Amino acid sequence: MRECLHFAPMIGARAGELTAGEAKALEAHLSGCAACRGFARNVAATDGLVGEALLARANERDFAPFVDEVMARVGARPPTPAGLRPAYAQGERGWWSWLRRHRRGAIATLAPVLAALAVIVYVRLGLERGEIAMVEISSEGEATTILETRDGPVVLLSEENGS
Amino acid sequence: MALGIVRDPDLAWDVAQDTFVRVHGHLAEFEGKSSFSTWLYRIATHLSIDSVRKERTARREELDDVNEADVAEAGEGILSTGLGNDPRENALRRELGEKVLEALEALPEKHRTILVLREVEGLSYEELAERLGIHKGTVMSRLFHARKKMQAALRRYTGRKAEEQEP
Repeated sequence: MRECLHFAPMIGARAGELTAGEAKALEAHLSGCAACRGFARNVAATDGLVGEALLARANERDFAPFVDEVMARVGARPPTPAGLRPAYAQGERGWWSWLRRHRRGAIATLAPVLAALAVIVYVRLGLERGEIAMVEISSEGEATTILETRDGPVVLLSEENGS
Repeated sequence: MALGIVRDPDLAWDVAQDTFVRVHGHLAEFEGKSSFSTWLYRIATHLSIDSVRKERTARREELDDVNEADVAEAGEGILSTGLGNDPRENALRRELGEKVLEALEALPEKHRTILVLREVEGLSYEELAERLGIHKGTVMSRLFHARKKMQAALRRYTGRKAEEQEP
């Protein structure tokens, strides 16, 4: 019986799912074990029953409206072409959609602006503490210099080659 | 497949539709590492299991260990005698089909799922292990338990049929 615990779960394996050694050992076990042979016969007798029964049950349903209902759920739009973002393909509007579609451009555009704002805040705080009010930052091939004057911050944009 | 896992035809219908909606929404993410049908079935499997788990109340999970009583209960092929040995012919019998579905519906979710994926989708042990995130050994023992329970339910049915036919 102890052997059965090992071999019973192997019953029903398809060709190639057991190693050659396992298959040979299982065969040897089956030849001497009536209980496992019985289980194996039952497995063979019920093979495919689940699939056939489920198919028969599923076929009782009228599938005619299936596609229409699916299309209604996806907004009755054609399938998204590979390579396009679903939101873009579905005509999503708004700044968030634009950001998603132009992620690189948005980053390149907004990064210096956000950095400049951060520096302005930093410089203002520095001024209040009497520190030097000039910082240089670089982004995407551009050098940006921000000068803090008594009249407010001045942002100087220039190419990194010094022009 | 969805019907086999979620049991309820309306819920299965909803899961099947949701599968195609998800596929539509994530087409751009399909990398072609597997066949399209494999990808679709994977989504359907996850949605089916999720659907069942959402509805399931907290229940004690059954172990996948194989014990001696399980093997002993497997019988001596009585079921094969009662059903005959031609699965196709058997499946055509409506009454048997109903009993098969009743037995399937009575199985715990994990046993139902693995049996459906094995018998309907035809997944190998390796594929089942990958799909369900379990070891191959667990796949084999879980399948064993699922089959044994199915057989037990059908054995009750064939037993009744045999009694009815006795003079």
